[in-house]
Amino acid sequence: MRLSRSLAYARNVAVVEVEELARTYRTSTGILRRRTVEVEAVRGVSFEIAKGELFGLLGPNGAGKTTTIKMLITLLLPTAGTARVLGLDVARNAREVRKRIGYVFGGDRGLYERLSGLDNLRYFAELYGVEPRVQKLRIQELLQLVGLAGREREKVEGYSRGMRQRLHIARGLLHDPEVVFLDEPTIGVDPVGARELRATIAALTDAGKTVLLTTHYMFEADALCDRIAVIAQGRIVAQGTPQALKAGVGEGTVVEIEVYGIEDAVVERVRALDGVSNVGLEARDQKQVLVVQTLPGRELVHAILGHLHGSEVGRVSSREPTLEDAYVALVE
Amino acid sequence: MKSVRVFFVGGLISYRALFSWLNPWVYVPSFLVMPIFQILLFVYIGRSAKLQSDSFYVIGNALQFAAIPCLFAMANTIAGERNQQTLGYILITPARRLPLFLGRALPVATNGFFVALFALVAGSAIVGTHVAASGYAPIVLVIAVSAFACTGLGLINAAIGLVARETAVLSNILFGGLLVLSGANVPVHDLPIVLRQVSEGVPLTHGIAAARKLASGSSVGSVLGLLGAEALIGLAYAALGYALIRGTETLSRRRATLERA
Repeated sequence: MRLSRSLAYARNVAVVEVEELARTYRTSTGILRRRTVEVEAVRGVSFEIAKGELFGLLGPNGAGKTTTIKMLITLLLPTAGTARVLGLDVARNAREVRKRIGYVFGGDRGLYERLSGLDNLRYFAELYGVEPRVQKLRIQELLQLVGLAGREREKVEGYSRGMRQRLHIARGLLHDPEVVFLDEPTIGVDPVGARELRATIAALTDAGKTVLLTTHYMFEADALCDRIAVIAQGRIVAQGTPQALKAGVGEGTVVEIEVYGIEDAVVERVRALDGVSNVGLEARDQKQVLVVQTLPGRELVHAILGHLHGSEVGRVSSREPTLEDAYVALVE
Repeated sequence: MKSVRVFFVGGLISYRALFSWLNPWVYVPSFLVMPIFQILLFVYIGRSAKLQSDSFYVIGNALQFAAIPCLFAMANTIAGERNQQTLGYILITPARRLPLFLGRALPVATNGFFVALFALVAGSAIVGTHVAASGYAPIVLVIAVSAFACTGLGLINAAIGLVARETAVLSNILFGGLLVLSGANVPVHDLPIVLRQVSEGVPLTHGIAAARKLASGSSVGSVLGLLGAEALIGLAYAALGYALIRGTETLSRRRATLERA
């Protein structure tokens, strides 16, 4: 499925074209002594998204993902570089771009609390110029799609977080946009709700839409995205298919060792071992897990355990690298 | 056609969405009871100090109270988008901005009209003032024009609220300013000269003067100048308010001024 779609992209013109896009924020503090600070949120990112592609933009908080999306959806002007959506410049042809894109932002705000879900959709249908005759049918279709049919006349203030997220998605699709921007759409949603939302997102590309998705959930990006760009400190540090990114970490093994109260000096000694490509220490429940990525063909479990002498050690396991390992290696 | 729907249908939905005072528990005391108290306060002060007639205060305060719905509601229905974090979603729609923002002014002005009309009718009945029979219909028109003019000031208030992220403080200050300057309780010619000049440029001053003349039996023709001045002032404020809102949107794309929650 993914391969056939990838072959299709090669024949298609890019729907989203981003070239050296940059955005600097200028903030001032103080009343008598004004001090201006410039923050480079996005520092010249470039990527393309082909028609029907589901493209992931991954990165830590503050990496520049949302700022990039805000420039693409015409909410912010770039300070440098260009971006085109369906061939239209986002800075110069804002209104034409707006007619053709949908935007879904994760979180439970951004809806009219005192209105029903139906009235929220009706209002935005008006703003997107959906004809009254089409409106009713379209809203019913979308309510079915996101699983809110039957609850649409309730006020949004009584909606659960998952219901709000689903309403966000329905709103973003009201005008049947060709390109959809999804900014952390499953954040804070329970596992069952998130799975349903992922199925809805996957259905978008099946319906021919082009999707740009940001998420912090690596398994989500791995499962959904055709290609991924990893952004860190405003720059794209890697770009490719999930498989290519995982391969970029190396063909080695990831060793995970449960430890309790390990010292930083021990972690550094493990990091210095020949054959170790990356080391991380993660907190999981009541314990710590030392995650060590090794180079291909290197068996380092005994050497690592040797350095943990004196520390309390729990379960030891090894596995293939995941997208999360690739991501951690790229952004750290 | 799409813009017409955005103006009427969209304007009404967003008014319902963002103006929280539409709850009867808030609406009745705020819009129907409070103006009566304001009227009674100034009527009794006037009687006690032997200043002006009861009719002077009833008309002045009934019309001046239109400022409450017009200032607060206008600010809430536009600046409130930022508090609800819906502003970004509005701004990325292709909807034309003139019907998008001015459509919200129509229910605001309509509500201001009804509040002032109710205050005038109820206040007159309670205090026992007399209005010339020929004046009723033209006074209704004067109230409508005055509510529109005050909504124009409300649009400026909304633009400032959009940036300042606060609407109640400025709305209260403007209401207080109109209480002094509009001639509702102090005849404009008794104000210090500087304030008198300011009074000529604020909404309601000409409307209140026109309503008083009509109530005392003057002809419609004799107040056309006042009515025209009130309408022009309203148009000027509305145009400035709209320009400020558009300017704020443009500035926000450049400097992200509306981005920060």
